[in-house]
Amino acid sequence: MTILEAHNITKSFGSAKVLNRVSLSLEEGESLAIIGPSGGGKSTLLRCLNFLERMDTGRISVRGEVLYDSEVPGSEDGLREKRLHFGLVFQSFHLFPQYTALKNITLARELLVKKQPSYKDRKTELLEQIRSDGLALLEQVGLSAKKDAYPHELSGGQQQRVAIARALALNPDILCFDEPTSALDPELTGEVLRVIRSLAEKNTTMIIVTHEMQFARQVADKVVFLDDGAVLEYGVPQEVFEPPLSERMQRFLSHYTDQNL
Amino acid sequence: MGFWEVTNSLLSGFRSTCLMFALTLLIALPLGLIISFGSMSKFAPLRLLVKTFVWIIRGVPLMLQIMIVFYVPGLMGVSVLPRFSAVIIAFSVNYACYFSEIFRGGIESISRSQYEAGQVLGMTKTQVFFRVILLQVIKRITAPMSNEVITLVKDTALARVIMVEEILKTAENIMTKGIIWPLFYTGVFYLLFVGVLTLLFGCAEKKMSYFRT
Repeated sequence: MTILEAHNITKSFGSAKVLNRVSLSLEEGESLAIIGPSGGGKSTLLRCLNFLERMDTGRISVRGEVLYDSEVPGSEDGLREKRLHFGLVFQSFHLFPQYTALKNITLARELLVKKQPSYKDRKTELLEQIRSDGLALLEQVGLSAKKDAYPHELSGGQQQRVAIARALALNPDILCFDEPTSALDPELTGEVLRVIRSLAEKNTTMIIVTHEMQFARQVADKVVFLDDGAVLEYGVPQEVFEPPLSERMQRFLSHYTDQNL
Repeated sequence: MGFWEVTNSLLSGFRSTCLMFALTLLIALPLGLIISFGSMSKFAPLRLLVKTFVWIIRGVPLMLQIMIVFYVPGLMGVSVLPRFSAVIIAFSVNYACYFSEIFRGGIESISRSQYEAGQVLGMTKTQVFFRVILLQVIKRITAPMSNEVITLVKDTALARVIMVEEILKTAENIMTKGIIWPLFYTGVFYLLFVGVLTLLFGCAEKKMSYFRT
């Protein structure tokens, strides 16, 4: 079942066209890797999907429901609820420094659940549920022992794993990663990639912007090569990474010769 | 007059000093936050208006502002405010403007990504501000705020320009009886007050040292 359809997304910053009629679709349970040179529009695409940037033109639908269509007036309404279809993991984690690992994960849900009509009567029960879900997520990313640690007490890799758990806490339809390992040294990259890999094995629908070519090739079901704001290649990893390669793709991959493709 | 007698009457002046201090803080802190929002507004006319207001308040001596609040209504034929209220209004507005600039600096120093992290989790702007941003701002502005708050303790002495009784005024009254030393003795009261505040700010900083921004 098609979970995400993005159609003709265009975005300019001033006179610079960052995204030029980008379209892509994603099946439920699939993971999509977005690769390409820096400045090619990868992050902007994710930010448009999460409504952190407003696209100039384009349409986004999730499970057939149109969330945003630049042609339709009033598309701006209810962006906050629409955002919940997506989760976003940032390059530099951006945990909330004053909260423990567990509270970082549970905070947003605790705030959301207050709007439930039955909140007052079932407060303790609901909060207990959120807490135990949060603990389960920490266990999933291997950080049960760090539930009471504050972000500055965690390594970069651990912070990113908490950030992944935080994004998962709201059960998004599509989990997005914006270069999740680019702020980490190679030693810590592995632990984060392992978590993402295990999510892929559980058929979590994901979009991963990454410079880890080997990882993209092994884990992603589909790969998009984005350059100059346009989709140059789009297909399963075998198609994208194996010869015959386009001239542009060859040039791009030649920078990764040290990685075993 | 003996030492204890002087101490006693200075204490009654000091009570009014403390009351001015507390009331001013109580009003100026939230008012300063509101003014800082105005000076960061995306709506240019409002931003310009607020910035001009802050410029005027910070640009005119506080002593003059106290006199304006007290005397000008009378000159314009409006009923005159009680002296103490006039002082509180002048102090509150003046300090709110200084606070607003500290708040603005603190709020703008928090990275945009903290807002974005909250937004993608479906939080409202208000929730992000109060649940995520505010405590980080408070931690960052504690040191400059302690400066302002300590200055306020001593600025309360300006109230005497419209004959509001506070500790310095009390000491001056005693001076008319030919005793000058109580005037210098008031310094001890200020020092002790500021000492307590310094300890409190130290405690606050320590309390917030469990996280880093």
